[in-house]
Amino acid sequence: MIARDVRPAAPALDRTILGMFLFIASEAIFFLSIVVAYLASREPGLADARANLDLGRTAIFSVALFSSSATVAVANARRDVRWLGATMLLGAIFLVGQGSEYARLATIGIGPSSALFGTTFFTLTGLHGAHVLVGLIALAALAAATTRRTRGVGPITWEAVSLYWHFVDAVWVVVFSVVYLGTFL
Amino acid sequence: MRPPAEAIGTLALIVGAIAVAIFIGVEGALVYAVWRYRTSRVSTPARFDRNTRLELAWTAAPALTLAVVFVLMLGTLRDIGAATDAQLRIRATGHQWWWEFDYSGIVTANEMHIPIDTAIDIELASVDVNHSFWVPELGGKTDMIPGQINHLRLLTRRPGVYLGQCAEFCGVEHAWMRIRVVAETKEDFDRWLATQGSPATASGDGARVFQSNTCVNCHAIRGTSARGEAGPDLTHVGGRATIAAGVLPSDAASIRAWLVDPQRYKPGAFMPRVPLSDADLDALASYLGSLR
Amino acid sequence: MSAVPLWVARPAGASAAGWLRTVDHKEIGVLYIGMGVALFALGGIESLVMRAQLATPNARLVDPELYDQLFTVHGVTMMLLAVVPLLVGFANYLVPLMIGAPDVAYPRLNALSFWLSLVGAIVVYFSWIAGGAPDAGWFSYPPLAERAFAPGPGVDYYILGLAVNGAGTIIGAINLAVTILLMRAPGLRISRLPLFVWMTLVTSFLILGAYPALSGGLVMLFVDRQLGGHFFDPTAGGQPLLWQHVFWFFGHPEVYILVLPAMGMVSEVIPVFSGKPIFGYRFVAASSVAIGFLSFSVWAHHMFAVGLNEFETLLFSVTSMLIAIPTGVKIFNWTATMIGGRIRLLTPMLFAIGFIAMFVIGGLTGVSLAVVPLDLQTTDTYYVVGHLHYVLFGGTMLGVFAGAYYWFPKMTGRLLSERLGRWHFWTAFVGLNLTFLPMHWLGVQGMARRMWTYAADTGWGPWNFVETAGAFVLAVSMAIFALNVVRSLRGGAIAGDDPWDAFTLEWTTTSPPPPENFRTLPAVTSRRPLWDRKHPEMRDAS
Ligand code: HEA
Ligand code: HEA
Ligand code: HEC
Ligand code: CUA
Ligand SMILES: [Cu+2]
Repeated sequence: MIARDVRPAAPALDRTILGMFLFIASEAIFFLSIVVAYLASREPGLADARANLDLGRTAIFSVALFSSSATVAVANARRDVRWLGATMLLGAIFLVGQGSEYARLATIGIGPSSALFGTTFFTLTGLHGAHVLVGLIALAALAAATTRRTRGVGPITWEAVSLYWHFVDAVWVVVFSVVYLGTFL
Repeated sequence: MRPPAEAIGTLALIVGAIAVAIFIGVEGALVYAVWRYRTSRVSTPARFDRNTRLELAWTAAPALTLAVVFVLMLGTLRDIGAATDAQLRIRATGHQWWWEFDYSGIVTANEMHIPIDTAIDIELASVDVNHSFWVPELGGKTDMIPGQINHLRLLTRRPGVYLGQCAEFCGVEHAWMRIRVVAETKEDFDRWLATQGSPATASGDGARVFQSNTCVNCHAIRGTSARGEAGPDLTHVGGRATIAAGVLPSDAASIRAWLVDPQRYKPGAFMPRVPLSDADLDALASYLGSLR
Repeated sequence: MSAVPLWVARPAGASAAGWLRTVDHKEIGVLYIGMGVALFALGGIESLVMRAQLATPNARLVDPELYDQLFTVHGVTMMLLAVVPLLVGFANYLVPLMIGAPDVAYPRLNALSFWLSLVGAIVVYFSWIAGGAPDAGWFSYPPLAERAFAPGPGVDYYILGLAVNGAGTIIGAINLAVTILLMRAPGLRISRLPLFVWMTLVTSFLILGAYPALSGGLVMLFVDRQLGGHFFDPTAGGQPLLWQHVFWFFGHPEVYILVLPAMGMVSEVIPVFSGKPIFGYRFVAASSVAIGFLSFSVWAHHMFAVGLNEFETLLFSVTSMLIAIPTGVKIFNWTATMIGGRIRLLTPMLFAIGFIAMFVIGGLTGVSLAVVPLDLQTTDTYYVVGHLHYVLFGGTMLGVFAGAYYWFPKMTGRLLSERLGRWHFWTAFVGLNLTFLPMHWLGVQGMARRMWTYAADTGWGPWNFVETAGAFVLAVSMAIFALNVVRSLRGGAIAGDDPWDAFTLEWTTTSPPPPENFRTLPAVTSRRPLWDRKHPEMRDAS
């Protein structure tokens, strides 16, 4: 008998990181269901998509988001709040870009209820946008906690937040390919 | 090809027999174990806890059984589903909560007539929500889904009346969405179809009441100016055995009762109560009852 | 050794605030179980009203609108709001104890999952007093569930409630999976995990794979209903069938989420009451994993009548049949565990045997549904209703009762009465067969499901009456169980640490366990650490 020793077997993997992986996996299934719905509704909406989406401009905003994956990696490696700031800036640029795309579509009468294309487009990109927003909040919270030296914010938190941000980015790779590239290529 | 119901029946017997055999085996083993190894008969339990060969065997045996079932199923599948041997095509459309049957332009409702010994392709459509066309003694069911057309093969050798039921939940009166299929000889069927194709009379008091009320917005009676599409075609409503998808018999008295208060018999029905004088009601009911 | 029930001896004091704030896995487990029991009673009462309405033809006890709400909320309650919390509650309570951990991986998140699950359930039930409960069935097929055909707020409560409840369930599953993967006692390798823990682990992954798809579907339905979207609107090019695919991608794994933990409970009870290790541990564990994977590949067997093409039809038929193989392995291995044993027919064992006996019936009818031509006859009829209640009541619920009688002494320190337990079992057994067996004939004869009433000329009256009588027998049975629990809490026999001469770690600590779970932990060198301690001369090989 091992008296008083109730510590678990030494974990090879940190709990928070494993939990974050599982959470991301479940989020991936969530997005998958919406992406499948988008693809299933592609045919009837294709003409609308071709006529109204702005590939070039969105590509530029997308570059902002993609490069934020690099900045968050650097931030994580150096535990550097300034790099977090850069990441948040890039994420915000992306959101502003997406907002302007929405505004443009709205002025030409395309919204979630206008036609099937609008429904699927706004749902898919909107859900992604919401995740970017949540990611930004997480980054901001991490930055704030780090500058205020809140206890419990260790390397694992940095790791977990940047994992999530990478995921949000990766989702956009899929969404951008399906919604934009898939329409024009 | 066989009538679908017959093909399914045969398969059901075979699968049922296999299931019963498995059932007896498993439950028998369970009862045996409880009886043989009860506390009063065993002092020290055995300690074995594996036998890989046995376990592989009882992984493989069900697999083989299922393979047999699958192969049998392939044969049956050819007799149901879409009819490649169709000699007659009927368009059946589901409505909340009645059926429309269209024989290449000749439209009727709720009561479907079919010739025996004839393979029929039913095209299934819906104008509102999902329904499912099912007449158990004629074969399996297939859903009616708005925006797409499904197919169902019907074939029967026995004349008679077959009752069915909408099987997919479609709203409050799903329960009162019954189907009546009359299978008859080719000659009887042709006669029936010819009658259905003929227009109805537009004269008489009842006809006048019908045409001067909102009835015409929802119902069609060929031969008159009534062309509504929201409710069943009434051209030969008196010739059907029931009205409102099986709720009431189709005689003048029941029709009158229905007109007075449809919701009394079918609470959810989409036919409104049209306020009419007693005299008008009598005339209307006997007119509709006479449309055979 | 403490003999006082947990809810009397709470260290934090038995105050309501203590329960609201608790992050202890045992207390959260009890909260979950309490929620499950309450919702099960509500779902059961709904079913009794339905049964009363169906007892005779042409009855007008309830109107069709109410009937539709009843079966919808009954289905939603039983499938999502009652039995999942019940099973998650047991897992929450037991998993740390069975793996020798002091708590779950994230105690605070654990509390969050519970409260989210509860709030989701409350949202669904709030609809009863706020303009009407959902009435489009537990799988709410559009277009019927669209605003055009379901203008009331019911379906919106369904969407919101299930989304919140689902979020809680997902977080809970992450917690359980991480706990099992990372917090096991020294020596407790994966290959030594108790089978209940194994099956909880598989269930957690099923939840992680399935629930997010439901959330996705709910978002789309929400967009259609609230933002005027067209996902499932055929008049604008949308596809009603898309919902069915997404829903059943969730819905089928869901039914295994509901049965695997119960199978895990049975896998703990049978060996202990046979006095023998489980037969073929590896096969039993591996078959759970196989069921887990397969269950994501069978969803369209709920859609054989929608006009799938031939390839899809055959594919989904085959995958559905394949599931019978790993399930059969379990049935056979449980039986083989009993063979050669010394079977103590106490209440937990009675229920476990009842589980096997009844589940097999439901499983065999399930396989008949996987045979497409037979499904085309029986889909959307009472035959399916019969199938699902045999696996869910005859299976899951009997399994849960087995687990309840088995672990109740651990959770409260007191034994349940054997005499009432036997009454509970036999009334449940008779009641469930009376209620659910005739459903099969009725279905084959043409009785579709979800009919608020039926005509007298159908001849379905007598069997329906029998079913209703059976349902009330079930109600009596459940009342006996409630009585048993209440009496035992008030003054049941003291259980002691290990009342059943059991094998696994949870029985090495006190009943109920102390807040930190274990003061000492036996060395784990095999699958039966407690057995090894009690019989050092007959240690299991590792
Ligand atoms: C606990 C829940 C549970 C479980 C375990 C199962 C298990 C199975 N179910 Fe069931 N099912 C439901 C819950 C469940 N089901 C519910 C709730 C619905 C209806 C949903 C709704 O519409 O509302 C449903 C509906 C349903 C349908 C759709 C019916 C329809 O609507 O048309 C189908 C079709 O294939 C099906 C098949 C199966 C199969 C093949 C299994 C298999 O897993 C069964 C395997 C088990 C055995 C076979 C018995 C033991 C095995 C042996 C003894 C080995 C030897 C056996 C053979 C060789 C056959 N189920
Ligand atoms: C786990 C799942 C589960 C369980 C346990 C049950 C349990 C029961 N079900 Fe349910 N059922 C479903 C899942 C389940 N059901 C599903 C998914 C559907 C499909 C829904 C749909 O179509 O959308 C369905 C549909 C369904 C129908 C078909 C409705 C229709 O198609 O028109 C019927 C009809 O008889 C029915 C009956 C019953 C009965 C009598 C019980 C009984 O076993 C219930 C026994 C329980 C009790 C009787 C409660 C006892 C409580 C008390 C006595 C109160 C005591 C109070 C306290 C202690 C506080 N169920
Ligand atoms: C708003 C539309 C509407 C109006 C107006 C209306 N009906 Fe109907 N009617 C229906 C619908 C819908 C049904 C099918 C009800 C059902 O079975 O659920 C129906 C069914 C019937 C039936 C039974 C038909 C059958 O074959 O089952 C008769 C007869 C009938 N209506 C006569 C009338 C008469 C006469 C009037 C005028 C006084 C009238 N209806 C006005 C919609 C309407
Ligand atoms: Cu139409 Cu049910
Ligand atoms: Cu299924």
